[in-house]
Amino acid sequence: MPIPRKPDGSVTTTCAYCGVGCGFRAETLEGRVVRMIPWKEGKANHGHSCVKGRFAFDYYLHPDRVRAPMIRASIHDPWREVSWDEAITHAAAELQRIQAAHGRGSVGAVSSSRCTNEEIFLMQKFARVALRNNNIDNCSRICHSPTQFGLSATLGAGAASQHFDSILQADVILVVGANPTEGHPVFGSMMKRRIREGARLIVIDPRRTETVDSPHCRADVHLALRPGTNVLVLDSIAHVVVCEKLYHEAFIRERCHWHEFEQWMALVGDARYSPEAVGPEAGLDPEDIRRAARLYAAGPRSTIYYGLGVTEHSQGSTGVMCLGNLALACGMLGREGVGVNPLRGQGNVQGGSCLGSWPHMFSGYRFVTDDAVRASFEHDWGLSLDPEPGLRLPNMFDAALAGSFKGMYIQGEDPVQSDPNQNHIMAAMANMECVIVQDLFLTETAKFAHVFLPGSSSLEKNGTFTNAERRVSMVRKVAQPLAGLEDWQITVRMINAMGYPLHYDHPSQVLDEIARLSPAYQGMSFALIERLGSVQWPCNPEAPQGTEVLHTKAFPRGRANFMLTGYVATTERADERYPLLLTTGRILSQYNVGTQTRRTGNVAWCGEDLLEIHQADAHTRGIGEGDWVSVSSRYGATRLRARISERVSPGVVYTTFHFAQTKANAITSDLSDWATNCPEYKVTAVEVARVQAPVVTEPAVREPAEAPA
Amino acid sequence: MSATPAGREPAASAPVMDVERLVSMANQIGDFFAAYPAGQREEGVRNHLRNYWDPRMRTTLLAHVAATGGKGLHAHVLAGARLLGNGAPERAAYAGPPRAEGTGMRARGE
Repeated sequence: MPIPRKPDGSVTTTCAYCGVGCGFRAETLEGRVVRMIPWKEGKANHGHSCVKGRFAFDYYLHPDRVRAPMIRASIHDPWREVSWDEAITHAAAELQRIQAAHGRGSVGAVSSSRCTNEEIFLMQKFARVALRNNNIDNCSRICHSPTQFGLSATLGAGAASQHFDSILQADVILVVGANPTEGHPVFGSMMKRRIREGARLIVIDPRRTETVDSPHCRADVHLALRPGTNVLVLDSIAHVVVCEKLYHEAFIRERCHWHEFEQWMALVGDARYSPEAVGPEAGLDPEDIRRAARLYAAGPRSTIYYGLGVTEHSQGSTGVMCLGNLALACGMLGREGVGVNPLRGQGNVQGGSCLGSWPHMFSGYRFVTDDAVRASFEHDWGLSLDPEPGLRLPNMFDAALAGSFKGMYIQGEDPVQSDPNQNHIMAAMANMECVIVQDLFLTETAKFAHVFLPGSSSLEKNGTFTNAERRVSMVRKVAQPLAGLEDWQITVRMINAMGYPLHYDHPSQVLDEIARLSPAYQGMSFALIERLGSVQWPCNPEAPQGTEVLHTKAFPRGRANFMLTGYVATTERADERYPLLLTTGRILSQYNVGTQTRRTGNVAWCGEDLLEIHQADAHTRGIGEGDWVSVSSRYGATRLRARISERVSPGVVYTTFHFAQTKANAITSDLSDWATNCPEYKVTAVEVARVQAPVVTEPAVREPAEAPA
Repeated sequence: MSATPAGREPAASAPVMDVERLVSMANQIGDFFAAYPAGQREEGVRNHLRNYWDPRMRTTLLAHVAATGGKGLHAHVLAGARLLGNGAPERAAYAGPPRAEGTGMRARGE
């Protein structure tokens, strides 16, 4: 074996996989990345890494990467390679033609959490100054939009209250609808370290996840609830807190509104939410609900970490509010070791939320309907802005189906693969006149595109990411963009082609603009982040080096708010025809729908998605380990292989969604969260049947895709 | 800066999207606010529609209300939709649940 040559270059940057946002030293040889070394000074990871960030980077040079812009008149035509100028001129002309024919609101844009803060900010600017509407959304719509809504409603800030290191002071850890040892492994390891030191663990999850039971990790209480009953169970925990007077009265009187607490107490204190009433409905032992409530309330430092198992429901926002209420009632906010913390899926989902890629909000979480806020943007950008909220991503597809929405500029998103009820999305896509896709690979969505703009990976650009603990870190260019342009440069060109002159020499100038227009980022600059390594927002004159723990003295609105969280069952129910409930998750070595990780050696650890099914359900259907099965729902069907598993309860089946050929979204419904339209991915009524093995399976790698976070 | 805001053409007679879907979305919003006392309940529905729905979605819903008297809508959702006649983003006398975002990250430390 030849001796490997020593790297000749090294650049410190930030991993783009999950929301932990680990720092890495990317080492290069002759301009090519040869290894990723976890960065000891990285404040999110302290020199640790997982198998994705460490090894799954060579997708960036995969032969599937598109290296030149392409256009075509119809989605049935072959692609034609063109120059950047021709592609962008054509794309802009098409959007303008559609707007002239069908109205200003007939086109929109979507930004991606795989892109930098600066790129996301420019995409919202594109919609507002070039399209002159607010039809701009981002992929957190389909993952953590309920987090922003629910935490803002209760606590006043739609982000994690703590920094990751805070968990090292927690006495009780409550994990809801998340599996950090697989999904957020570096944080998961930190959690295990604290559990080894004696912290107690409560897990609320339909599946007996690796977090419930794996080496160095064992839950003291596991509430394996029926999918779709989160709010019911969380209200029941609140019921115990209220009825056993486990709440922290002094904290509530000082930091919240007592009359709101009383209103909330009347709701959750109702016999409807007693563990005895809830237990049978949620499939739980009432005593376990009581144990969980007592353990959490006793603390003295209890902290909550949660994931998409909370948000991706028709009551996703309500579920997040339940967590906010619970922490407020028990006084578990505003110090180390406590708090409410979303575990974000993608590297920059928090940035996606912060930087104004929303149809109703500018960067800094401020409404477009607010005259004073809008005036500040109008002053900076020099033109008047649309005062009405725009269409959200699912609304855009519904409007496209109805014929009132005709064109879309999609940055780093693959809705055909990642959005729910795939048949519905494909019909909507086919109904549009101009779809512009900016991505690394020819995605499923690109099959419906008229313009393809080859984007750059996170190794090929400069900018910043904001991780799940609000930490803004540098993303640095390690290699040259394969197709010549960084994503922010493409968007700037698009804005110019639409007739709005704009120029930046460097993304640092975009961050300066963000700082001018977004209070939480007020003190941020590339220079400050370079100097400190990373900075957690809010960063402003009162906190010039950023803020680790939120809500220490006051909440953003002064006092926090208890929200009323009545349980409303989803309309997606199991019945005789679809008797099982399907829920989904991730494993350690693969990432989301696998666009990147499937194009790396990580397929050695996981080469396909499997359907986990309980022995009892498998037995009655004649299904054995490894058999091919069909999974059908009211919306569609797919097939994959079965794994008999004790990790799921009878009546529940589970799969990961890392491989495009699994087509998990062929069967998901288009039900969504009441407040944000975040899809209800986590509950689908299905039937499973044994089928013959397919004669030819589709190739594992040639089907690209992007992801729900 | 031009005097007129970035205009949007008046909603065409055709609905922006399937009205049945809008009715079910509005009812879902109503399901959440049903836990609140009368008065706050309708205000909550109204403010949510005002701040989160594209105006064409509201227009389509209101056209449905005008044409059918609000067929399929829960009573308090219908009442909330009718409050949209006042176009202000936030009604001065608003007493419902706090709006979800917006007052967030002002300059003061949190």
